[in-house]
Amino acid sequence: MKTFRYFIIFSALFISRIAFAQQITKAEVQVNGLTCSMCSRATETSLKSLGFIASVTPDLNRNVFVLSFKADQPVDIDEIKDKIQDAGFSIGDLSATMNFKNTAVDAEGIAQVDGNVYQFTNAKSKTLDGPVTAQVIDKDFITSSAFKKKAAELKSPAYLTGKGVVAGKETRIFHLSI
Amino acid sequence: MKYILITAVLLLTTGLYSQAQELYVFTEPASNMAAKSIGIRVTNEGIFNGMSMNRTIPEAMLSFNKNLMTHVQGFFSDMDGKYRLEGGSVYAKYRFLSVDGTQRHLRAAAFGRLSTSKRPVYTEDINLEGDNSGVQGGIVVTQLLHKLALSGTVAYNKAFVSDSRKLIGIPQADQLVSYSLSSGYLVLPVIYKNYNQPNFNVYFEMLGKTNPDNGNTYLDFAPAIQAIINSRTRIDLGYRFQVAGDMPGRYNKNMYLLRAEFNFFNVLK
Repeated sequence: MKTFRYFIIFSALFISRIAFAQQITKAEVQVNGLTCSMCSRATETSLKSLGFIASVTPDLNRNVFVLSFKADQPVDIDEIKDKIQDAGFSIGDLSATMNFKNTAVDAEGIAQVDGNVYQFTNAKSKTLDGPVTAQVIDKDFITSSAFKKKAAELKSPAYLTGKGVVAGKETRIFHLSI
Repeated sequence: MKYILITAVLLLTTGLYSQAQELYVFTEPASNMAAKSIGIRVTNEGIFNGMSMNRTIPEAMLSFNKNLMTHVQGFFSDMDGKYRLEGGSVYAKYRFLSVDGTQRHLRAAAFGRLSTSKRPVYTEDINLEGDNSGVQGGIVVTQLLHKLALSGTVAYNKAFVSDSRKLIGIPQADQLVSYSLSSGYLVLPVIYKNYNQPNFNVYFEMLGKTNPDNGNTYLDFAPAIQAIINSRTRIDLGYRFQVAGDMPGRYNKNMYLLRAEFNFFNVLK
């Protein structure tokens, strides 16, 4: 039943999908474990190697990087995480500004945009329109202790793995808190 | 023991008021370089052992991924007369534990080293950075707890002593256990403005070795200062001296270290 519902939503969104328009415009990443400006610079250089990133602005005192994205390229949130881990650090908080255009969040809190599947943990049965700041709360996007706490609270297999079956296919599901 | 207690108190109090740093001068932290980066180092050791001697260590560091990195070193010195290439060393470090949290992280890594040196063996103190051929394996754990960073290392050192390099009457160890406790903190800047601001760090390390065969042990203190320029170039100046115990014929019980390091981030494909 669940699979069927996902299939309907997925098909509906796929049909109504318009030409690609940048949906994630900005992200603020707080990086844990940084202790020096050399480490920050290594992290920034690593992030800049991603093709979809337009600019990286560091706040060295808070260990926060503000990322802006190129308008014509899809943003891969997982690649941002990989680049920060490559530099030897981890994400404490990643909050993205997402531009929604009458995006429907279903009764289970699921929305799909541009092929990305988002599971909202604190929004359901509503329509999102305009810029929304959403925190990615998946594994490795928050501290491991915060993840454990969330996992106990949500009791969802899709949250533990970050994956679920959508339209009969195993799909990456980003868990968002708004 | 008294020294250790005083040092521990010093480390704790300074750590509470300053930001911890872990780019140690005389040891390696459990943290690795950023993946796909290259670092080049030139280290000069000035050794005072009755007479003044110099050793130069050019070194290249490569990080293959976030967990595995390697150092390749060459050793040049005038310790046996003419300044010459005396050996080389390959070091690899694998980070197997990384727990990051806000204001705290814990990293642990395993490391190994393979060294060669054509120097005759004059001392019981196995030094795989120039004086001895041999292998080393160990564990390093680095903990950042709020603003205090501490790093501890334990390693086993095995020297390959060929008969041709043995000198009569000189005690030769073929194995040693080495250990260290390190701490460092950021002095400047108090507030970061940009990457071009120089950083100044102060370090204090305790370095020890024990020969399990006869119990001979020594403990060195090694204070150091460090400047980081443009968040890429690192200059270290340290001094190492013996405070307790001894081993016959030690070279590095009274030495200074001067090092320049240049980093090239994310250059490997």
